[in-house]
Amino acid sequence: MTLLQQFILPRLLQWVIVIVVGITITFLIPRLSPVNPIQQALGRLTQFATLEPEAVLQLREQLMANYGLEGSIVEQYFRFWGNLLGGDLGPSFGAFPQRVNDMIGRALPYTVALLTFTTIMGWIIGIIVGTLAAYYPGRLTNLVAGVMIVVYPVPYFIIAFIFLMAFTYYIPFFPLIGVFRGEPFEAEFIATYLHSTFLPAVTLLITGLSFRFIMARALGTAELSSDHVQYATMAGLPDRRLMTSYVARNTMLPQVTDLGLSMGSIFSGTLITEAVFGYPGLGDLLLQAIYQADYNVVMGITLLSIVGIATASLIVDLSYPLVDPRVRYR
Amino acid sequence: MSPETAASAGMEQARVNEEARNVVEAEGLKAWYITQAYGVERTVKAVDDLTLAIREGEIYGIAGESGCGKSTLLKALLGEIVSPLTIVGGKVEYDFDAGKIDALKQTEEDREAIRWRRVSYIPQGSMHVLNPVRRIRDTFHDFIAAHQETTREQSIEMARNYLQELGLREGVLGNYPHQLSGGMRQRVTIALATILTPRLIFADEPTTALDVVVQRGVIELLKEVQKRENSTLVLVTHDMGVHANLTNRVAVLYAGNLVEEADTSTIFRRPRHPYTRYLIESLPRMGDRSERVGIPGRPPALDNPPDGCRFHPRCPLATDICRQEVPPLLPVEGIGNGTGPPHRVACFHQVDAPLEAGEIEHAAEMPHAD
Repeated sequence: MTLLQQFILPRLLQWVIVIVVGITITFLIPRLSPVNPIQQALGRLTQFATLEPEAVLQLREQLMANYGLEGSIVEQYFRFWGNLLGGDLGPSFGAFPQRVNDMIGRALPYTVALLTFTTIMGWIIGIIVGTLAAYYPGRLTNLVAGVMIVVYPVPYFIIAFIFLMAFTYYIPFFPLIGVFRGEPFEAEFIATYLHSTFLPAVTLLITGLSFRFIMARALGTAELSSDHVQYATMAGLPDRRLMTSYVARNTMLPQVTDLGLSMGSIFSGTLITEAVFGYPGLGDLLLQAIYQADYNVVMGITLLSIVGIATASLIVDLSYPLVDPRVRYR
Repeated sequence: MSPETAASAGMEQARVNEEARNVVEAEGLKAWYITQAYGVERTVKAVDDLTLAIREGEIYGIAGESGCGKSTLLKALLGEIVSPLTIVGGKVEYDFDAGKIDALKQTEEDREAIRWRRVSYIPQGSMHVLNPVRRIRDTFHDFIAAHQETTREQSIEMARNYLQELGLREGVLGNYPHQLSGGMRQRVTIALATILTPRLIFADEPTTALDVVVQRGVIELLKEVQKRENSTLVLVTHDMGVHANLTNRVAVLYAGNLVEEADTSTIFRRPRHPYTRYLIESLPRMGDRSERVGIPGRPPALDNPPDGCRFHPRCPLATDICRQEVPPLLPVEGIGNGTGPPHRVACFHQVDAPLEAGEIEHAAEMPHAD
């Protein structure tokens, strides 16, 4: 009871507040932007034809009704919450009359598959290699560390472009833009999926890995000089035991926090990598939506991202005591 | 309890076989810290040309102010030489049953065979030497499994029996270190260091940072552990009260040199080196209400120690010879019954008189060595 009251309830409350505030802000920001979706739509419709002014006026009202932009901003706000709690993110403005739910539903699996794989693999490999590097300093270690330190600050889209040029143009082995054929889980789909996903996955893995390696090596080196590791070394404990239970295990708290937050941000996609490789995930969808002032899609993706990160930090918070016995539920 | 009565009580409790062999010997030991930063080499002569022998079964105390090389000496005796600590000269040898072992050239296998089973170490500041995210029982298992075939169950059983034997609460096995008090953590560390019944135990300031009531318990525990197998205990502490309570023999270190070594009762009753006299003078005594006087000045920086006797800038008895020549560590003639190790002193102006309160600080005007 006290655990629930003192530890879990406050954090749940915090979670709700973060989400409400975040959604309100994302509701307001596009409405303050100078791009008007009605004008955009009218522009598209009247691009090749001139309409009667009355017809334009009618069209404008019709569009306002369809997009849910009638009434004052307060009315819109409450209508928006009503729809949201009913699980409806509204229609897309740019690809009217498609529903935002469907558009996100199509893009989400691509992004989640790509980012879950690269985030977790980068985390595991980075920690193992980083801890080994901390434990065995030497020439080879310095070489690996040097490469990682050079790679880490390079923006990931530069690496993406280099890979794109190298492996689609000079050595045209991978497709320039993601090609996905066949129904999900058929052999053809899996083959084209792996073929199209390889480059974006490697790009993300390399950047994620370099960061994780640097962090793991720094944490490991600090841990190595701690009293308890030195004492265990002096007592002649075998290297494997020292490295796992005494060095790596004790650096887990920040690493788990960071993994949790990275997993939370999966739902916002990776804007640039997806755009560069023509990968049909959330990031690509978001980019198109921003160009077209497609409020509802932007809102939908932002909402996912807010809920994702808030939930991830909630889970990380609740799981601290499992990772570190010194943290107590209070 | 005054140091003197405590010293004689200590003597009675742990009696050392007069013909015991030396379990560890150091000869001409030079353990220096050599660091190189931006091409500038800096040498700190933490232990300089030191010779000593510790007999089996005795409790041997190493005393001295902070920064006089006590901990470094212990590391060298333990053979734990980690850069920037460098052995520049001399040797350290263990002698257990099977011939002499060079402590300074331990391989990985030697270490596995010697550490904890033969030679163990109770560290300074045991607050943080236990893995904070590991239960005590798992730490015990790790330390036992590193040296002998065992299963987790066997290790825990062994730890439980040993804790019981030492009168410690066995419930601590299920705890994490942060759940234990400082005194309990120190006791658990002592148990962890001695569970494999080592013959030679090095303890570095085991009672420092504990309050006096807890200190007493820890001292009792150390005695208990030493008595079980008649192990040799080498105890480093700056606390002369602990030496009086626990040790058979005391070596006094000053600025990396051994300046005096004798039976504990002799050290406390008839110290001959002015530095030792100061150390003991600074102890409070029952019934003596005179003000305690500290030693003026501070120990020299060991990267550039003074010429001659390293104590001369602070010594009220210093003369020209002290400034020019290093006094050799020589046995005191005509003292002792000829069986035990001799009383050794390195001083040109030894004081041959029982210690009396307030004597030495009036001997001369104190120079300040800052």
